[in-house]
Amino acid sequence: MVRIIASMSYTALLSVLCVSNAEAESAKTTPLNYNAILRQDTIPGVKKKAVDTASWVNNVARTRGGGDSLNVRLSSLSPNLSLQQMLKGNVAGLYVKEITAEPGTEQSMLVRGLSAPIFRNKDVNNLQPIVYLNGIPLIQNNNYIYDIQKYDFNPIGPATNLLAGIDINTIQSVEVIKDPVELAKLGPLAANGAIWVTTKQAKSGVRQISVNSYFGMVKSDNASPVNAEYENRFRKPFYQKYATPADVLNYAGYLRDSTNLDYYGPAKWGDLYYKTAPIHSVDLSISGGSERANFRFFAGNTKSAGGADGTKLDRYATSFQINMSPFEWVTVSSMVNATRMDRDRNRSIRDRFAETRYIPDLSNPLPPSKQIYQWFLDEYDKVIDDNRNTAVQGYFSLNFKVSKFSLLTKLNFDYNEGIRDVFYPTTLMENNNYVSNYFGYNQRFGVTNALTFSEELGSNHKFDFELGQSFQSDLNRYNYANAYNGPNDFIKINVVEGSSAEANYLKPVDFLVYRYTDREQRRLFSVYGSVKYKYKDLLTITGLIRDDGSSTAQPGSRWLVTPATSAQWNLKNQFLKGNNAIDELTAEVSWSRIGKLFSDDRFGSGPQYRVENGWVAEPTIPGYNGLATITRPYSSGWVGYDIRWPYTDQLNVGMSIGLLQNRLNASLTFYQKDDKRMVVNTPVPTETGYASIFSSGLGVRNTGVDFGLKAAILRRPDGINWESGLNLNVNRNKLTELPGGLQELTIGNRKLTIGQAVDKFWVYENQGIYNSDAEVPVNPANQEKLNFEGTTLHAGDPIWKDQNGDFIINDEDKVLKGNTMPKLSGGWSNEFKYGNFSLSFNVIFALGQKGLNEQAANHFDFINKESGNDIGSIKEINSWQASGDLSKYPIYNPWSSVVAYRLDQDLFLENASYLKLRSLSLGYDLSKLPWLSNSKAGIKRAFLYVTANNLFTITSFSGSDPELIDYTGLYSGYGMVIPKTFTLGVKFDL
Amino acid sequence: MISFINKNNRLTKVLAFVLLSSLVSVNLSCKKMLDVESTRLATEEAQWSNLQDTRSGLMGIYGLTRTALGSNNAHWLWGEMREGDFTASSKSDLKAIIRSDLNASYPLIQDITNWRRFYTVINSASLFIERSGEVVAKDPRYSKLNNKVDIAQARALRAFAYFYMVRIWGDVPLITASHDGSFEGKPRTDQAKVLGYAESELMAAVKDLPYRYGVDGDLDLPGLYYGYDNGRWSGALFTKISAYAVMAHIAAWQSHYLDAAVYTQFIMQNYSKSGLEYVNTTNLTASDGIFNGQDSKIALGFTFSDVYGESTSEGHIEQLVLAAPLIAKQVPDLYVSKDTINKAFTDIRDGRFGIDTLSGLTRTNYFLNYSGQIPVFSKIKVLRGGSTNGSFVIFSSAIAFTRIEELSLLRAEALTVLGQRQPAIDLLNIVKKNRGIKSFNDNDGLGLIDEIFAERRRELMGEGWRWYDRIRLAKIKGNDAKFNKLIAEKGIYWPIAKDVLKANSQLVQNSYWK
Repeated sequence: MVRIIASMSYTALLSVLCVSNAEAESAKTTPLNYNAILRQDTIPGVKKKAVDTASWVNNVARTRGGGDSLNVRLSSLSPNLSLQQMLKGNVAGLYVKEITAEPGTEQSMLVRGLSAPIFRNKDVNNLQPIVYLNGIPLIQNNNYIYDIQKYDFNPIGPATNLLAGIDINTIQSVEVIKDPVELAKLGPLAANGAIWVTTKQAKSGVRQISVNSYFGMVKSDNASPVNAEYENRFRKPFYQKYATPADVLNYAGYLRDSTNLDYYGPAKWGDLYYKTAPIHSVDLSISGGSERANFRFFAGNTKSAGGADGTKLDRYATSFQINMSPFEWVTVSSMVNATRMDRDRNRSIRDRFAETRYIPDLSNPLPPSKQIYQWFLDEYDKVIDDNRNTAVQGYFSLNFKVSKFSLLTKLNFDYNEGIRDVFYPTTLMENNNYVSNYFGYNQRFGVTNALTFSEELGSNHKFDFELGQSFQSDLNRYNYANAYNGPNDFIKINVVEGSSAEANYLKPVDFLVYRYTDREQRRLFSVYGSVKYKYKDLLTITGLIRDDGSSTAQPGSRWLVTPATSAQWNLKNQFLKGNNAIDELTAEVSWSRIGKLFSDDRFGSGPQYRVENGWVAEPTIPGYNGLATITRPYSSGWVGYDIRWPYTDQLNVGMSIGLLQNRLNASLTFYQKDDKRMVVNTPVPTETGYASIFSSGLGVRNTGVDFGLKAAILRRPDGINWESGLNLNVNRNKLTELPGGLQELTIGNRKLTIGQAVDKFWVYENQGIYNSDAEVPVNPANQEKLNFEGTTLHAGDPIWKDQNGDFIINDEDKVLKGNTMPKLSGGWSNEFKYGNFSLSFNVIFALGQKGLNEQAANHFDFINKESGNDIGSIKEINSWQASGDLSKYPIYNPWSSVVAYRLDQDLFLENASYLKLRSLSLGYDLSKLPWLSNSKAGIKRAFLYVTANNLFTITSFSGSDPELIDYTGLYSGYGMVIPKTFTLGVKFDL
Repeated sequence: MISFINKNNRLTKVLAFVLLSSLVSVNLSCKKMLDVESTRLATEEAQWSNLQDTRSGLMGIYGLTRTALGSNNAHWLWGEMREGDFTASSKSDLKAIIRSDLNASYPLIQDITNWRRFYTVINSASLFIERSGEVVAKDPRYSKLNNKVDIAQARALRAFAYFYMVRIWGDVPLITASHDGSFEGKPRTDQAKVLGYAESELMAAVKDLPYRYGVDGDLDLPGLYYGYDNGRWSGALFTKISAYAVMAHIAAWQSHYLDAAVYTQFIMQNYSKSGLEYVNTTNLTASDGIFNGQDSKIALGFTFSDVYGESTSEGHIEQLVLAAPLIAKQVPDLYVSKDTINKAFTDIRDGRFGIDTLSGLTRTNYFLNYSGQIPVFSKIKVLRGGSTNGSFVIFSSAIAFTRIEELSLLRAEALTVLGQRQPAIDLLNIVKKNRGIKSFNDNDGLGLIDEIFAERRRELMGEGWRWYDRIRLAKIKGNDAKFNKLIAEKGIYWPIAKDVLKANSQLVQNSYWK
């Protein structure tokens, strides 16, 4: 109660302050929504009726458009599967890259740069914006699914992108919310940004039917395959220059025999690996009803494919909405969505062994021969790898409108479950077979209430008050069992003893079984109040205050009070009312502080004990001598009592302008995003036993500019029409703060220095090669030769720059160089129309980022990699292709104990900028043809189109595609290349 | 708020009231709502309240010790590889260790020169010693005697960790309390002081440690131990004999052979009380022999019992040395060259490796594939639960620190140094006889001390002793100029990992590796 009173009084106070501000006429206004013109309804001529949920869905969280929107109409011409793919390159400030083209794999989005450093790929999951589907915040997988794994390439379970479940043909609009006050209204879930997806709504009126469909194919470029002779030739110079007789004796077994046709024969594996695959989609939607009760039904099926390795995704989506208005003042709305996704994953050896956590002898890799690869595929037919995701979301809401009051009560739920069943036969795993079963679910339940009230004082002053409360409960859980070494390849399930008379009743027979389970529950409770004051049509001022309590915060600081405020000034109405050239001109400033949720429930309890029994290579030993163990969290990190809510302070200053009857719209927003008090795992003296402690106090600042431009360059009723849209984002991040006043912090291969970007590579500067021992510099002080961490450098070793001149090359000689994130990113879309024809294309680009070519480094470091017999030694079938220009790398001594081809040197750092023609579409509207428009079928629209996607990429990057560089900045070469797709589609509205 | 409501509208009034009251009531109860108990951890308040907590806490220390020795197979890399009997087939990092190129820039070397895992043992043992007493008051099932034995084990494990570290790094920081919640770095302490502390801790612990756990009518600890009998515990926990064994080694490492003789004498008189026995060659080398799971014949070992699903691939010498025909792997990472085998095993009657006089073939207890280019060291070959099926390659062998043969040879060494030749020869000959080889005889003109160490080399091959044995032998004989120089320059110690040095500015790298 105290809290309510406090927030109410604060709100009242704010409103007073705001009025006074208004009187002072401080200069503020709204940025223009440059995409507004493009965002038209696909179904023209439908009037908005009384019961149109879209309006209130938008009203609940968003009082005005501060975000940028996706051009849904153009985007729906491309066979994009996931929300990330739809948005890629289409909204200023939202950066998406597909690190593999395997359909349905997990993908990431980053809004306005990196708000925290990324040490491992899974860290990027904590930076994801929240996605709302008709106001339902969608729950995602919990990061704990990496915990029991040795390698974090994939999580356990189906690992399907949960945001691939939304069909674009059911989407009305997608907006990326970046406005601080809008985000503050959504609360801590939206601290990393929010994506507001609104589906097409139930509509009253004559029954409407839409059918959309496309067929097409996915085609990967068959890269230049090579056989063992290529590899043999590649290695020759190293052996000629540096090998000892013992090294020659140790020459890789599979390369030794040049008469072995499996390795040295024709390399035709690509015929089987890169197969053109069909894709298709069809969906139907029906809506109709009266003004008092209406509905919308949608059902669709999409089959997507990856163009290589037999990867596929099948999606079935259905949605049903009903709105009713039993009385004038009550609206009841409900929606249920159901989605099912079945995914055919890749057949890569690395992913398989990462799942089995068992690495057999790798000395003979899969050869490039088509026959052997066919044998492999035949064996792979015995594999079971079923990945199924099922999701149901829905809401039930009541909206009361009485006089100036409006009360919205809404229950929403989001439940998704993933099932994965795996069986690998003995032939694929050194006479072992393997079974695993996963069942996991994520569930979110929420109740929100919002009361709004408007009051006008005279005709000049208008107030909108809003009080809201929400409660949300999340539960993540999984059960997972894996089993090894079953009796034969026909029993593909984990059999248990069925007889209750036996002592081992329900215990596994034959298989060696390990079981895992995990569960995490989180709750979030929030209250907020906001006031919006509008002075004529000139000035709008908003103030908001909220209080959030999270179960994952520490008991002493569960609650966090945060404010937000913004002001908009309509300059057009103020100064340029009579001006015909300028249609719109607004300025806006907006600021907020938002609490950030902890991604792990460990922070909720302070000092603790955990079960951390194994070590890096053996993370799952169940106990000691069959008994459970419990220890302090020595390897995962100490949690103290001093961890408080992290938060983000965001500031936007923007202007937008509309010119020439809104034919030219532009918006420019400067932003500063300060993420503070974040938790980072800081190293401590190892004598304490702890690898690290979690400490509060990491601060990262992202500053940048979002720019949007939308122009109707040509607009002729009988001639060519040309509309063009450009979005740009310039962003840079900077480390502002480290815990405990530290100036720098090294974690793994990343070094954080205050004032520097958090996404920099930390590398040695390579300056060539020592051709003889005499070239190695000698320290005049003690006549000792330059050494690398104590090992004297010799001929054939690289020249690494001794930055501090102490004649020892070590970590102190590494420099921060290049960024993993682009400096400039964006997209450019164009649409031409002539008569019934329309032509559109979309170009996306990201410039200024770098990538470390791990694939090249591993290739050159073959001596260490091949003998390692670990997950890094695996050679996939697609490694049998010529990779880039290898002649630019010097020939170092690969046997040297300084590890000459180490990854952390700028030798492997490459420019990863790119520009891509993402889509090219040609369409023809049949409905305007007389024979169709005059027919009795009542066809409102019949649009026929062909689209080609991913036609070309311009880049200087030597790997297959710079987009495949992961979020830590490494190009491993494991990602599947984004294929070209060609589709022929049709859209009917009846 | 109320003042905004239009007074003529009753419904709005009701609505506003309902909303407000629901807001208030939810807000009042939300304090409780936000208390979600995590199932993934035990809080400070919940730990140390009952018997399960002390048991899992104690097992935690054992588990951490196993991790310290087992991760990266470090027990063998530290003890067996440097200029030892093994040759690396292709792995560059192992080659670097074998040629003592320990500054080489391989992740493996960085990882095994990081001493943090030992300090997890030390910290958790200190914490256990400080906190476990609280449970006595809270849980009546947890007796004072039980607590005393538990604390003795924790002290012994902590002392063992210190001894193990000193053998690798020399001087190490001596930390004797948990300092829970504070994270200050400490400088290194002189190794003599560290070993003195370890020895005194063990001395205190032996008073409370029993010979066996879970034995009815036992004098030190009668009845079940944590509800389990001796079958569950034998070979898995620190016994009185284990503690004496570590003390004997601490003494021998410092060349305090008089103390070593005293400690080993106690062992020789009492070892059978812990179930220790001399084993025959078959039992030594069988896949279900003494190394499998837990065995009372291992005086101090850390188990990976398959019965409890603890078999792993890392943490065993097998991962480094086994290959076809036992498992599918073609070439072992490490092997003993034929040359070295022939030098070490001089008696063809040797049951471990010799020539069968009937068939004329080599014996396969220690080495398989002797006729091939690369013999496979197969002395320890505990495939999953002691089976011989190599299709699924995980191992269940315990990390054995010592057994009675090792302790006998240690005693023989001590007695030889002290000039008591005959009892030393007797002990040596017990081992020799068990392996079927010719007894030591003064008339053969062989040096007794050399013979003892030669026997250690054969008997303990692959158990992580070779490097330390060479150091002790060089110290006793003092005639290996190169090696004695290495000892004098402290080159016998390992460098300290970068991460360790970086995290604590009070530490300095071992001078030899600077």
